[in-house]
Formats: sequence, structure tokens, C-alpha cells
Amino acid sequence: MAFYADKDYTEDASILEAANQVMQGNLSLHWYAAKTERIKGHASNPRRGLTYQDLDIGSYGYTNIPENVRNSQSMVSRGSEKVGKLPDMGYVVNRKSDVWSDNVTQLYEESKARRWVPATDIPWTELHAHPLGHELEIACAQLYTFLQECQLVSMDFPSKWVALINQDFLEQKSWMCAQMLDASRLLEAFRKRALYGGTGLGRASATAEQGLKEWLWADKFPQGSVSINLSLAGFLLVVYRQIAAFAPSKVDRAIMGFAMQDAGRQVDYGLGQLRYHLKHRPLEVDAMEEYLDDTEHALVGLIGSPELLEPMIIMCGGGLEKAQVDKGRVATAKFIRLVVREYMERIAAAGLPGHSGRSRIPAMIDRISAPA
Amino acid sequence: MSYLSTTNFTEDKNFIDKWLYTIRTGEMDLSWMKAVTEKISPEEANPRRGLTYRDLNLGSYGYTDIPEKVRANRSYAPRGAAIPDGVPDAQPWVSRKSELWAFNTESYYEEAVSRQWNATTDIPWERLEGVEMSEVTGKALSQLMTFLTEVEMIATDTPAMWLPRLNPDFIEVRAFIASQAMDEARHAEVFRKRALTTGWGLMQASPINEMALKHLRDADSFSEMSVALHLVAEGNILTLFRFSEYLSPTDVDKKIFRLVMQDEARHVGYGMQHFKYVLEHFPEKREVLHAHLDEAENISFAGAAATELTEAFIILAGGGLKKENIEQGIKITTQFNLKQMQEHFERLDKCGMPERKERSKLYKMYEMGRAAAEAAGIKL
Amino acid sequence: MTISFPSTEYFEALKAQMAANEEKFRRLGFIDTKFGVSVGANGTPRNFVLEFEVFDLKDVREVPKIDPKQVDFTIEGDSRVWREMIENIKRNGEADSAHDINTLAHFGERLKIVYDDPDGHDKLYRFMESIQEFFDLSSKIEVSF
Repeated sequence: MAFYADKDYTEDASILEAANQVMQGNLSLHWYAAKTERIKGHASNPRRGLTYQDLDIGSYGYTNIPENVRNSQSMVSRGSEKVGKLPDMGYVVNRKSDVWSDNVTQLYEESKARRWVPATDIPWTELHAHPLGHELEIACAQLYTFLQECQLVSMDFPSKWVALINQDFLEQKSWMCAQMLDASRLLEAFRKRALYGGTGLGRASATAEQGLKEWLWADKFPQGSVSINLSLAGFLLVVYRQIAAFAPSKVDRAIMGFAMQDAGRQVDYGLGQLRYHLKHRPLEVDAMEEYLDDTEHALVGLIGSPELLEPMIIMCGGGLEKAQVDKGRVATAKFIRLVVREYMERIAAAGLPGHSGRSRIPAMIDRISAPA
Repeated sequence: MSYLSTTNFTEDKNFIDKWLYTIRTGEMDLSWMKAVTEKISPEEANPRRGLTYRDLNLGSYGYTDIPEKVRANRSYAPRGAAIPDGVPDAQPWVSRKSELWAFNTESYYEEAVSRQWNATTDIPWERLEGVEMSEVTGKALSQLMTFLTEVEMIATDTPAMWLPRLNPDFIEVRAFIASQAMDEARHAEVFRKRALTTGWGLMQASPINEMALKHLRDADSFSEMSVALHLVAEGNILTLFRFSEYLSPTDVDKKIFRLVMQDEARHVGYGMQHFKYVLEHFPEKREVLHAHLDEAENISFAGAAATELTEAFIILAGGGLKKENIEQGIKITTQFNLKQMQEHFERLDKCGMPERKERSKLYKMYEMGRAAAEAAGIKL
Repeated sequence: MTISFPSTEYFEALKAQMAANEEKFRRLGFIDTKFGVSVGANGTPRNFVLEFEVFDLKDVREVPKIDPKQVDFTIEGDSRVWREMIENIKRNGEADSAHDINTLAHFGERLKIVYDDPDGHDKLYRFMESIQEFFDLSSKIEVSF
């Protein structure tokens, strides 16, 4: 993989000569007349500061990025003058409709503005001041073990793709870096929560991980994005809302308050990307339907994983007594219906309105029976 | 590239029936409750700092006890969890601790999370209204910013692409790398925003520097990438930021460079601590790293011919294009170039590679350059 | 001064509190969403549209009907549920777990989230901490029902 310079520059007299000329005061100023657009950007709203949206101007803007980025394979910043022999970085994602979403810049700006710090923004000591019952704590530790697995995969997806995406999509790539940090922060919060409770971590989930790996290892970015940014993030958003709604402690509620914000951004990118992709590439509709037919079984794998389902029942019910379990399974049945309903809504809104009619999941959900 | 799960869950009748049954009856398997994992009692060592990864450095969950070769986990299971049969292989490339670990990794990450800033709101952009720079200063500043946007975007790609290759047991390193990717994205953003507020826009790309940046990205191992990125490149850029802060034409620029400097110093810190760690724990790697440094320094030296950057720097340092400005600019730029090299070798020395000076051609260039500068009355 | 709920005065009072607590909302980050609040009473709901921008409530107005296409989402609920929430906030200084927006609306059984586009719905969660803090400011005003 290594890339080596084309020669030993310390032996190259022309390098020393070029440097010497400049350091003797003979400036060439070849860059001084760069043929680039002259602009002076301003913050449209000083309270918001200077955003990427404010700089969506002419050749520097993202609106004018063409669908096919053909003449840009180096790391030149969009709008600069390209000169000389620039390296080919081997980008494999060069079509705007493969990565773009109309909300990308907004989400990037939002992710910075809404940052948080797990170490200090969560009232950790509350958990020691008001410890949970043993069974409830074990259930929480198991849930947070499961959520760490999901976040590891959420972190890997943008990392895996970012270097393969053309540098001209710089706002998109910046958003993906923000996603990496979001996932890392959630992983951190979940790990800290699981361990601070004292019962240690639980068991990893083979069923969940199998499905997650299938999603993570998708062949193409739009496919992987719909799986990780829409399906997984949408699923997690409902998990976070569920835990917040039944939060056994202030710590859990605080963590989930932040987690749902981060997941909300991720899922909105997933929806926006799929929408943009299908709008600009209508011929991909069938392929995407087929991809979802093949891979959405992983959502069933997540939902049905005992490492999620059982601790969620216990957490929602408050314990292992029969009445508690009954309460918990009714709430968990509602959770599953909500996950699937919102997943189908997003897929439809993105441009696949008939998908729920061909998916096998709704019929499976109809079989859920949770008598109170 | 695609992977297919060992089970298609919509076709697995037993799996579906089982969870539907659980929901219907409340009967649970609960085998996960018997997971044999360690019970620990973490405490916040310093409540003002909150609950840190260091506070969780206990037993099987801690990072101290990660073995040199991670053999037990190749899945997405978090370190210390019970790992059942059937988990997939995450295909990590790096499962050797000394290949990526740095002393204090966890602290660098915690610092990164707590010191995140926002290029949109933390820079007083409004103060640029009404600021008129001369054409020469404006263009030189834009040219410097153009170069920095090239640097910073590749600095996001390089650590990021390694992240999924690292064994998931190295949670803290992965976390640090994620924070670095975000730091670099913010740097690309702030430099782009500054270039586009000068009135001149972006300027000209730098082909020689781009070649160096490609070298950073395409390394054979994480350690080699780290030494080239964190130590050589970011070390050089840190010196550049310090000088740029010194010669900034406005307070806004000073603020920008102060903020990026904090992040860059953290990345260099990680690089130094990793370099120390790998030299101490994986001595066979020393020659490989020397060889990679040979290449990194060669490309670093080629940067001397990137006159689009040097000239812009001279103009900013001297304050203009008049003869006396250029003379002053050359003096400061010479000091800057020598300082970059001096600090590079100091870092290697401190990390346990004092012999580098003997082997390095760049060091010979540094000595020559320093002697010439002193002869011209320029002192470091 | 006591302010009646529901009314534009109530939301204006929260807006003033939001401005007075700017540092807290700055820390939580940008909030860019326009959403509806619908308070049902005897079959004739009173409807409000709240428009947030950057760190502020930019505008609030009462409308005869909320057009779901013109807002990101609408929080609908009977006046009894809203009252219970506001009283709970007053009692505790902030909503407890059982009375925050997320819990009350989670299954759509007490409050209900109505939306035209899931993208708009997700904004409730993207800005949840700010929205909850906004309603929690009810603890700082006297409200009558």
C-alpha cells in the first residue's frame, strides 16, 4: 500500500535551487494570480456564526457540485486552482447522488453546536446515591452492552468510507467525521454506564452482530448508508426513547436525552441520503428495493436478540416479578411495532412508498400478541 | 466486499417463534444473566473531571491488562463482555497493542471531547467586517489557508481509514482516532472559512505538498502511519501554527491558530507517546520505523520546493512585498524552517530514537541550513 | 403575574425566560425547528405554532388549525395531560421521567406526535434537550388553567 516519493529529493539539486532562489528574495509569485473566484463570505445571521451554508457561493459552493465529479481526484480544496501534477487518491465514490443529502451541512453544523461530554454532562454519582435493584441493574448492564456493539458498527461505517469519497464532497466528509465522534461518545457513555452500575458487562449478541456486520459490509455507500444511517439509527432512536421513557435512574434518562439527539441527526441523514439518491437516480429504485428485501432481515435479528429483548422487558417492567414482566412485555411489544412503523415510514418518505407491501416484516409484526 | 449473515432472520422460524413467544408469555431464557463477567466498583477519581475512561481501568475492563496480542476477541463485543459462539469476525488488521497504543491514550481522548470547539460560533467572524487587508497580505493569507485546507482534509481521511481496522478491544485508541478525525474536519472547515472571508477566495493548490500528504495516508502499518502523520507532519504543522499565530494579520486569525494549535498539540502528544510505546514494546519495529522516517523526511524535504507556500509565508512574516519586508520575511521563515526541523529531531530524541540524527539526511540538511543561517546572522 | 394556559402569553413568557437563560440554551446548541402545540379541550383544540431559530424562540402565534406540511411536527394532547405536565414541572423544577415530552408522547397514548414527513418528526429528537428545557421553564412562571 505504501506510497513513495518518485525520487530522493535530498539529492535533487533543483529542490535546493528552488528553495535558495526564494530564500534569496527572488520570489516567483506564480500563485499570486491564481484563477479563482474572489469572494468575501459573511455570516447571514451573526447569532449563528459563519456556517458552511453562508459559503455556498459560486465555485466554492456545494450546490454547484456536479453529479459526476470527474476532474478532481486529488486533495485540492473545492474552488482552488489546480496546477501541476496532483496525486490521484483513488476515490471510488465520485457521484454526488451516492453520498449527498440536502441536510448535510445543517447536520454538520448542528452536530458541533449540540456537542456534549459524557464524563461531565451525566450526573453519574446519582447511580451510587440511588442504586437500582440487582436484577434491574443487570438488565441495564446487558442493554448497554448490546448498545456498545451497535455503536462500534456505527463508528466503523463512516470511518470505512470517508477516505474513499471524493474530496470535493467536503461538507459530507466533515459530517462523517462528526458521526465518528458522535458514535465514539455514545459508546463511551454506554460503557461508562454499564460499568459504573457495578454488575459488569453482559453478553455480546451473536444474532445482532451477524446482522450488523452484513449491514456494515454493504458493497456500495448508498446501501450501507440506508442500513446503518436509516435502519440501524432509526432502530436505536426508538431504543433510546424507550429507555428514556422507562428510565430507571436519572443517569439513564440523561444519557438517553443526548443519545436521541445524536441518533436523530444520523437517521435524518440516512433518510435524506436515500431520498436524494432515489430522486437523482430513479433507475436505482428496483436495486434498492431488492437490497432492502435481502438485508432487512438484520432488523429482525436485532429486535429478536435475547440480549436486547429480555433486558428491555425487565427494564420496562421494573423487575422479574410476574406483574413486572407482564408490564414489560406489553411495553416491549409496543416498542417493536414503533420500530417497524417508523422504519417503513422513513423508507416510504425517502421514495419507496410500496416497500412495506413487499417487505416480510409487517406480517411478522402482525403476529405479535402481547395480552396484558 | 459484502458479507452475508450466517442466518437470514426472516427465514429462521425458530428464531422468530422464540421472540414472539417471549413477548406473548413473558417466559425468558435469561442465560445472559449468567454471563461470567467481572463485577467492579468504579469511582470518579476527581468529581470535577467526571467519570473518565481512566476511572474504568479496572480488571478485565481496563486497558492496562490488554495483552500484547489480542487473541480472544475479533468481534464487535465490547472489551470485557462475555462472547458467545457465533459472533462474526470484524476482520481487524491491527490486534497487537504495541502497534497502536500510546501512554495516556485515554486522557488524550477525554481532553479532545471536553475541548471541542466550534468553528462557526467560537471564531469572532463579525470582527472581520470592515477589516481591509492589503492585496498582498490578503492573497498571502489566502494562499496559506489554501495549503492548510489540503493538509487538513487528508488528515481526516488518514486516521479515519485506520479506525475500522483496529481491533475493537482498543476502544480508547479508536475513540481518540474518532476525535482526531473530527478535529481535522473542523480545521479544514475553519481554514476554508477564513480563505473565503479574505475577499480573495482560495488560491492555488500545492502539488509537492499533496504528494507528501499521499505518503501520509498510504502507510503499510498503523505505527508507520502514526509516525508520519502524528509525529512528522503534525509536528511540522504545529510549528507552522505557532509561527502563523505570531504573524497573523488580524485577531481573528490569531484566535483560529490558537484553537487549532490545541488540537494539533494533542495529536502530536499521542504520536509521541505511541512512538515511545512501540519502541519500548516492539523493538523489532525500530528499523521499519527508521525506514519509514527516511521516506517521510525525504518528502518533508521536498516541501522546500513548494514555493507557493514559502513565498506566502515570507510575505506574511515580513508584512508585504517591499525589499525590507521580504528581507524580514526571509529571516523569520528561515527561523521557522530550522525550528521545524529542530523540533522534529528533538521529538524523536525524546521518544527514544536519538540515533536518528546519525542516519537522517534531513538532519544533515538542518545542520547545513543552521550554519548558513548563523553565518547570515540569523539565530534560532 | 399569573399566565393562563393555553395562550400565546404562556409561550411568550417561556420565550422571555429562554432569553434570560441564554447561556444554558447556547450550551445545548442550535435549535432550528417549527412545531405545533395543540391543546384539546371539549373538542375544540387551541393550536399554536412555535418557531425556533439558532438559540431562540423566534415567533409564536395561535392559529385556527395547524397545517402539518407547514410544521415539522405537532405535539397534540388533551388539556388535562398538558396541565399535569406543567404542574409536575412546577412541583419539581423540571419534568420528572413520567412527565417529560418523550415519555408522555412515546407510544402516542397521552400526548401524540403528528407529522407529515418523518424528517420533521425526527427534529423533535434532534432538539429534544432544548425543547424539554424550554417547557421546563414553566417552573419559573405562575400558570393558571
